[in-house]
Amino acid sequence: MNRKSFLGTASALVGGITIPFKNSFAENNSDYLICKKPPYLKSNDVIGITAPAGFITQEEIQPAVQVMESWGYKIQVGDTIGKKDFTFGGTDDERLNDFQKMLDDPKIKAIMCARGGYGSIRIVDRINWTKFKARPKWIIGFSDITVLHNHIHNNFQIASIHSKMTNSFPDDWSTAEPIQIETIISIQDALSGRKMKYSAIPNTNNKEGIAEGVLIGGNLKTIETLSATASDIKTGGKILFVEDTGEYLYSIDRMFWNLKRTGKLKNLKALIVGGFRIKPDDPGEEFGKTIEEIVLEKIKNYNYPVCFDFPVGHQKNNFALKCGVKHRLSVKENEVTLTEII
Amino acid sequence: MKTIIPPYLQKGDTIGIVAPAGFMAIEKMQSCIDALDSWGYTVQLGATTHSSSQNYFSGTDDERLNDLQQMLNDKNIKAILCARGGYGTSRIIDGIDFEKFSKHPKWIIGFSDITVLHSHIFSNYKIASMHAPMAAAFNDGELANPYIESLKNALEGKPSHYECPSHAFNNAGEAKGQLVGGNLSLLCHLIGTDSDIKTKNKILFLEDVGEYLYNVDRMMLQLKRSGKLDKLAGLIIGGFTDSKDTERPFGKSVYDIIYEQVNKFDYPICFGFPVSHEKENYALKVGERYTLHVGESVSLIERP
Repeated sequence: MNRKSFLGTASALVGGITIPFKNSFAENNSDYLICKKPPYLKSNDVIGITAPAGFITQEEIQPAVQVMESWGYKIQVGDTIGKKDFTFGGTDDERLNDFQKMLDDPKIKAIMCARGGYGSIRIVDRINWTKFKARPKWIIGFSDITVLHNHIHNNFQIASIHSKMTNSFPDDWSTAEPIQIETIISIQDALSGRKMKYSAIPNTNNKEGIAEGVLIGGNLKTIETLSATASDIKTGGKILFVEDTGEYLYSIDRMFWNLKRTGKLKNLKALIVGGFRIKPDDPGEEFGKTIEEIVLEKIKNYNYPVCFDFPVGHQKNNFALKCGVKHRLSVKENEVTLTEII
Repeated sequence: MKTIIPPYLQKGDTIGIVAPAGFMAIEKMQSCIDALDSWGYTVQLGATTHSSSQNYFSGTDDERLNDLQQMLNDKNIKAILCARGGYGTSRIIDGIDFEKFSKHPKWIIGFSDITVLHSHIFSNYKIASMHAPMAAAFNDGELANPYIESLKNALEGKPSHYECPSHAFNNAGEAKGQLVGGNLSLLCHLIGTDSDIKTKNKILFLEDVGEYLYNVDRMMLQLKRSGKLDKLAGLIIGGFTDSKDTERPFGKSVYDIIYEQVNKFDYPICFGFPVSHEKENYALKVGERYTLHVGESVSLIERP
């Protein structure tokens, strides 16, 4: 039974006496954290593609356009695609306007950010979210797009999709590796409302256990730079996932200290560590700790499950994850699974 | 609230040297040790200054913590000079017991990664500390430069009066307030933690080294978005040296990037102040009161 319609019927029956339901919510203490889900996509729905951060050419997005059209969606290409202002996909105003237009256009049911890079933070405070709040739609992307996920999660409690972007679609579908195809298909699964299920290769450093909570997270460096701003996330009662690329181990260590010292690791339900492509230490500056050691020492006093090598990050095995949606993480010796549960 | 100023040093006083973060070979500290000796101080070397560490750090967390803790607790030591920065103070900051230090304050000296100590100490204990050159700055015959000299004067308690040339991006005016600041990356890293600084009505100074341009942009936005820039008394932009660019050029200089984020504020702002990872690095007392005057030239005057 659909939980939402069940509750709707039930409260209609009891005529507004909803206290028993509130109590049952309170017992299941993280349910109140669940975000509103934008409507899932149907055939012929429109996906907008825009570049809120780094620049991308028309040619580079073609594989994504073709694949998403083959899924039965219509694609609307934003003005920022093909625009270039140094590293950015247009000036701040151009990127803002393009994103704003897509956010406000009721025909567009999802917005895929063309790529990350850097730049979302420069426009996030100028975005008008009024229409988006009234009519939520799926915002899709990762890396720099962590800014949007976390801003939306913190301010509007609306779910969004952390996934590959247009620049990760294989040029030639027929010669693509299975993992490329699987991960791209996971975007379609997420958009069309399939219940998501993922597995990770067990890592001997994992901390076993089962936890349920709302999934939130993204790029670690980006999360750190959002600390104490209007886009900062509260992680209590949630499953946090983090990934990063191109950072030195010392810098990753410093970022995990930031998570710890800002209280973000304390009341988690679980921690998911995705891919960390590490920048090699400079000669003579060997850090001397692995990513697992860096993480485990920060959480040694906490008892929640932890898994490493989860397939999320700047890598081929980067599956679409629904931020703001409740999941169950099960970490066992021989099996690690993450399952969407509501 | 009034800042507690640790006692200035007298001839014969002991300065401890520790390495709370990155490794440094003792030979590279020798010029500094000799200089402190020639200034009339006794130097006490902490265990981390002759570490046998084979990795990045000057010792394990416990070793670095214990060394610093011992120096903080030892009443005989009147100032602690951090040999170098690098990375590592964040790993031990929450383990330090400041109880004896807060009863018997002493000068903590350093910059870069040591920004963690300055910010933590001022935020939690309202005790002044010294953002100043460290051991490496004494090498290569730089003993007599005005920046090393400024550390000598600061230790002796001579109020400083620094001047620097004007810059096209400066915003003229005069600001009075307590000075806070340090390395931009570290200040951002501390936002939202127990070591975070409040900047309202303060003069904030910033410097950094080797950062990507886009990252300086992002950090300035974090300062702005966390409310650290809008109520300043004044702003001092030091050196942002050896900035790196991405494969796709950012298209702005590092000062352009900073100027864009601060040009709407009407408090006095100066660019190019000699506080940096280069030789140009005056001793500044975090927590002490200064007057910043930005006009045809720039002056920063202590306790005016």
